Amino acid sequence: MAKLWAIIKREYLERVRSKWFMIATFFGPIFFAAIIIVPAWMASKSKATSDVYNTTILDATDTGFGHRLAVNIAGDSTISGRMPTVLLVAPSALTEAESTATREVMRKERTGYVVVDQQTLAGESARYAGTNATSIADMTQIKNAIRQTILATRLQNVGLDNEKMKEITFIPLDFTTERITERGRAGSGMASVLFGFSIGFLLYLSIVIYGQTIMSGVLEEKTTRVAEVVMSSVPTDTLLAGKVLGVGAVGLTQQILWIATTYVLLKLRAPIMARFGAPTMNFSLPDISLGAGVLFLLFFLLGFIFYSSLYAAVGSSVNSESEARQAASPLMIVIVSTGVFIQPVLLNPTGTTARVLSLVPISSPIIMPIRMAVTGVPPLELAASLGFLALGCAAALWLASRIYRVGLLMYGKRPTMKEMARWVSYAR
Amino acid sequence: MTEYAIDIVNVTKRYAEHTAVRDLTLRVPTGSVYGLLGPNGAGKTTTIRMILNIIAPDSGMIHIFGRPSNDPKITERLGYLPEERGLYRKMQVRRVLKFLAELKGVKGKDADRRIDEWLERLSLKTPEKDWGLSKIDELSRGMQQKVQFIGTLLHDPDLVILDEPFSGLDPINAQALKDTVVELKKRGKTVIFSTHLMDNAERLCDSVCIIARGEKVLDGTVTGVKEQHGQRNIALALDGDGMEGIASILRDSSLVKRADDSNRFFEIELAPGADPQVLLRRIVESGAAVQRFEMIQPSLLEIFLKKVGTSVREPGAEAWSGGVEEGMTGHG
Repeated sequence: MAKLWAIIKREYLERVRSKWFMIATFFGPIFFAAIIIVPAWMASKSKATSDVYNTTILDATDTGFGHRLAVNIAGDSTISGRMPTVLLVAPSALTEAESTATREVMRKERTGYVVVDQQTLAGESARYAGTNATSIADMTQIKNAIRQTILATRLQNVGLDNEKMKEITFIPLDFTTERITERGRAGSGMASVLFGFSIGFLLYLSIVIYGQTIMSGVLEEKTTRVAEVVMSSVPTDTLLAGKVLGVGAVGLTQQILWIATTYVLLKLRAPIMARFGAPTMNFSLPDISLGAGVLFLLFFLLGFIFYSSLYAAVGSSVNSESEARQAASPLMIVIVSTGVFIQPVLLNPTGTTARVLSLVPISSPIIMPIRMAVTGVPPLELAASLGFLALGCAAALWLASRIYRVGLLMYGKRPTMKEMARWVSYAR
Repeated sequence: MTEYAIDIVNVTKRYAEHTAVRDLTLRVPTGSVYGLLGPNGAGKTTTIRMILNIIAPDSGMIHIFGRPSNDPKITERLGYLPEERGLYRKMQVRRVLKFLAELKGVKGKDADRRIDEWLERLSLKTPEKDWGLSKIDELSRGMQQKVQFIGTLLHDPDLVILDEPFSGLDPINAQALKDTVVELKKRGKTVIFSTHLMDNAERLCDSVCIIARGEKVLDGTVTGVKEQHGQRNIALALDGDGMEGIASILRDSSLVKRADDSNRFFEIELAPGADPQVLLRRIVESGAAVQRFEMIQPSLLEIFLKKVGTSVREPGAEAWSGGVEEGMTGHG
């Protein structure tokens, strides 16, 4: 036990002390925050952008319509002090004013301009020209503002006072979406998809990164022949277990640091996103129960053990980094093809593909947590998935430890599959 | 303390294509320096790995200090230096040593104290520079070898196992290793090492075992082996003139079984029952000017060549059976 501890300690401390770990731990959360903030920022594009404030209103109505429109366009802006510029123009000078405004847009001083005239007042037509004319959100915003202004003008004309008018026309509609699962309402749809994606991506990344870490660690011990010295002191199974647990603990440490900092970044997302000019996204993180948290952890650990023991076996069977890359490619293909399924599973978390993939041990450690994040998973399926994964782990460990203890002492040419199969049959 | 540090009885280890060790029985007396000799591919490394319980024999028994070799307690009394040497390249020297010490059950302050002692003793720690704080790959090859010695001996093992310890050593470290072996013996420790360098074995070992093709060829104390397997050999040196008569004498099979002719120097193996005095008289009578006529004991190398040499021309230069080493043998 003391020896197992010594191996775990060495694996853990040597890796946590490394520069690579520091860098990855620091940039990880920034990366994850970006994953969350960028889509949010993109989503905010579906609301009007700040482009609409950078417009000119050519007002040929002579009724102050332009000013009221400017207020309405700027109306639901969270950023104060920015409002379209209003130019009062005589109807005869409108053509001239439009070409001036066009040149301004061409010089990128303005995004575009709105022309309002008598026909606008009549509720018949208005014109917009600008670089963002294809932005549905921007155009909807301007169109709505014009409608609202026309409505307000009409109400004013029938004698409604300003206060009353505001009261009637002010409709700050906040349209939220919520997902319903078999188990009831489950928080914001957008948030749980993002959350599911993050979980899946995190698990996927950890398995790839730390699997390879174990592989090169094993290879180093083999090529430097340290393995022989260590094997003369501890049984190979202890060495393998120590490596998997030590590197697993590094992965866990990194994930905890990642999750903690990402959480803090998300808490502080309002000021960060404001910097990107995006309005704060209105979502709450999905509530993760303690039970679900423990399950995520369990899936991570089992998935990690499954893949890292296989990576260790690969590392022990080869003699150089380039051979290792080749020999690990079948493993890599399996993991990458699981990664490919993240998106489809997110879109249809209760479909047959998702259900099958979340039962098979090679994909379940990644797919099942995603399903858990975005939908309700029947307890029976969860139990079956965990059971199969545990069996898969036992099989992978058994296979890996047999290849490992022979492979570590085998130098020279890379073994064929047939030879490796024979190693498995060796007693010791 | 048990009589034998290592007691191997009828041990066999097979691999798919060949048998690495066949029915090997050997005993290493406690407190002795023991040499395991044999050409490459003879099964030395496999034997050592079985002693260390890195691999298990297919049949037979191995006892270390009277206990089965798979007894976990035993490993802490063993120190092992593998043939190919290396350490964690990116790890600090002191941390590597501490890790190796922990694997042998030496912990904390005790380990630190021993590491300091050893680093100073092998001048890896001087008032100017403490190499213990450097990473392994910042050290020269010679210094790395020193670190590896320390790792082998840090936990003060009762049985030290060295696989081809002299290969790749610079002369200074080779001397240091010899001194260490002598000192370990003085302190009552047992040292077993494999080598194909008969010179070192002859000088250092109390007992030897020669193995070839996985089988024991002979074993015993160095003196015993020489008496038992040595022929009665004679070193003969002549002065320039009067060589003509010599050739016919050396061809006389009633006197001479074999003669190694180096022009003026001859190594002669007497025929069974021949009297060396008769030979001397015949040579003198032939008119040759005898400079030296000496009864000599055979060297281990000669015994080795005689016993193993049918398929091995030069020990170590080329492995037997085509030199292809398949499977677990790796090297030795």
